[in-house]
Amino acid sequence: MNSFDREDLPGKLFIVEGIDGSGKTTQLDLVHKWLVGEGYLVVSSDWNSSPIVKGTTKRGKKRRLLSPMSFSLIHAADFASRIHDRILPALQAGAIVLADRYVYTAFARDVVRGVHLEWLRRVYSFAPKPTVAFYFDVPLDEAIRRIMQGRPNLKFYEAGLDMGLSDDPEESFRTYQGLIKSAYDVVVDEFGLVRMDATQNLIRQQQQMRQLLEPHLDGVMRLDGQSLSDALVKAGLRGRYVERQEVGSINASRGFL
Amino acid sequence: MTEVRFYGHRPPGIEEPHLPGRLIVIEGTDGVGRSTQVALLKEWLEDRGYAVLDTGLVRSELAGPGIKRAKQGHTLDPITLNLFYATDFWDRLERQIVPALRAGMVALVDRYIFSLIARASVRGVSREWMEQLYGFALVPDRTIYLDVDVEHLLPRVLTRGFDFWESGLDFLGEQDVFRSFEIYQAELLAEFLRLAEDHGFEVVDARSSIAGVFDVLRGHVQDAVRGMEIDRLGQYREAAADVVRVTESEAPSA
Repeated sequence: MNSFDREDLPGKLFIVEGIDGSGKTTQLDLVHKWLVGEGYLVVSSDWNSSPIVKGTTKRGKKRRLLSPMSFSLIHAADFASRIHDRILPALQAGAIVLADRYVYTAFARDVVRGVHLEWLRRVYSFAPKPTVAFYFDVPLDEAIRRIMQGRPNLKFYEAGLDMGLSDDPEESFRTYQGLIKSAYDVVVDEFGLVRMDATQNLIRQQQQMRQLLEPHLDGVMRLDGQSLSDALVKAGLRGRYVERQEVGSINASRGFL
Repeated sequence: MTEVRFYGHRPPGIEEPHLPGRLIVIEGTDGVGRSTQVALLKEWLEDRGYAVLDTGLVRSELAGPGIKRAKQGHTLDPITLNLFYATDFWDRLERQIVPALRAGMVALVDRYIFSLIARASVRGVSREWMEQLYGFALVPDRTIYLDVDVEHLLPRVLTRGFDFWESGLDFLGEQDVFRSFEIYQAELLAEFLRLAEDHGFEVVDARSSIAGVFDVLRGHVQDAVRGMEIDRLGQYREAAADVVRVTESEAPSA
């Protein structure tokens, strides 16, 4: 919505969407490791993580102050802050940005709470369009089974308890996830997300993702000669005094003891 | 009775088609005398037996502390800041203003979405985006705009000193506070007038005396609260009509 021409962004934005238990985070992590291994500069941004806004979201959740609209607005603020501080600069610089959940999460969740999709679309119009967006499609029963195996302590908003679907957290969670899944179905078609069969073998899913991403990697920024492990191997050192960075190696010097 | 209308789509949380109270908004730039007039109006309305909620752009329980923290560091980009403000505004609308309207009170609101839109658009945020964002706002029964020019504003502001934000020092890049204030307020006033025209505000010339402005304001407010005394009766009538409708629709179709 600013005078910013998105077409000019040299970076690439890959995002994953899906209900809880769809396996999207696992697959994105594998993509991350692959891209870093190939020497690309990768920046990631998770949902609900803006240092400036997340305190307010937490406060709202803890005190149960969030109504459907304030829930929607505060998440939009968090998202805007991450776009501005992290995602846009990385895309401008020509890096790869990986996002676990993007605007479509807000679209699906908020629509379920009665917010109008058209309004959401306009509010989020400042968001750059992803280069590739994956939607991990999984049957509801399968997703619930995966989540419940970990015997999670379901939180109030996470279980959709604010919607008054049921007093029982597990029951509420199930109904809520089902509603979100239906909302996703509409969003996925409307915005052309790539539908992944999340019941498939994990390796097969990862292969598909890489195949789809490969054509977009042409000419993307790489970190030549910045690999810490290369330097260690070349010099025959074990690297006892350097803290190894999980993400790329560009900040390796920061880790000196 | 207030017909519940929104600038855009109806947001979840406000479902009723009518509310018995009245929503009256006083808009205008900083230093124009809004709070004085709101105080006078409140006293006048209460004298006449109306229950009044007066509220302004004070901070909400939800987003207040977060905004304060963020503004101290001047770290927020305009989009995030405005979404933060929108959260704050909605929280007050939903938890203060609408409950007052439900209870049949007069809500006197000192600055509404228009101040937020005007301030953002002079700072380069798209006005269209701002208006779409605030599509969830309830259309007031009356929006009264206190109109002033920089020349008449200056003496009032001089006595209490220039404020950092009210002088546009955060974005204009002017070193000179006085110059910055002049430029900023001129742009802001032009934006307010555009909004006044688009949204049909009652424009009140605020350059005259406090008593003179109040006299005109009172006329507008009197107009807006007209009929509130009989609203209760109207409510009963509507409720009765609903019962009839329900009974009819439940009757077996022959």
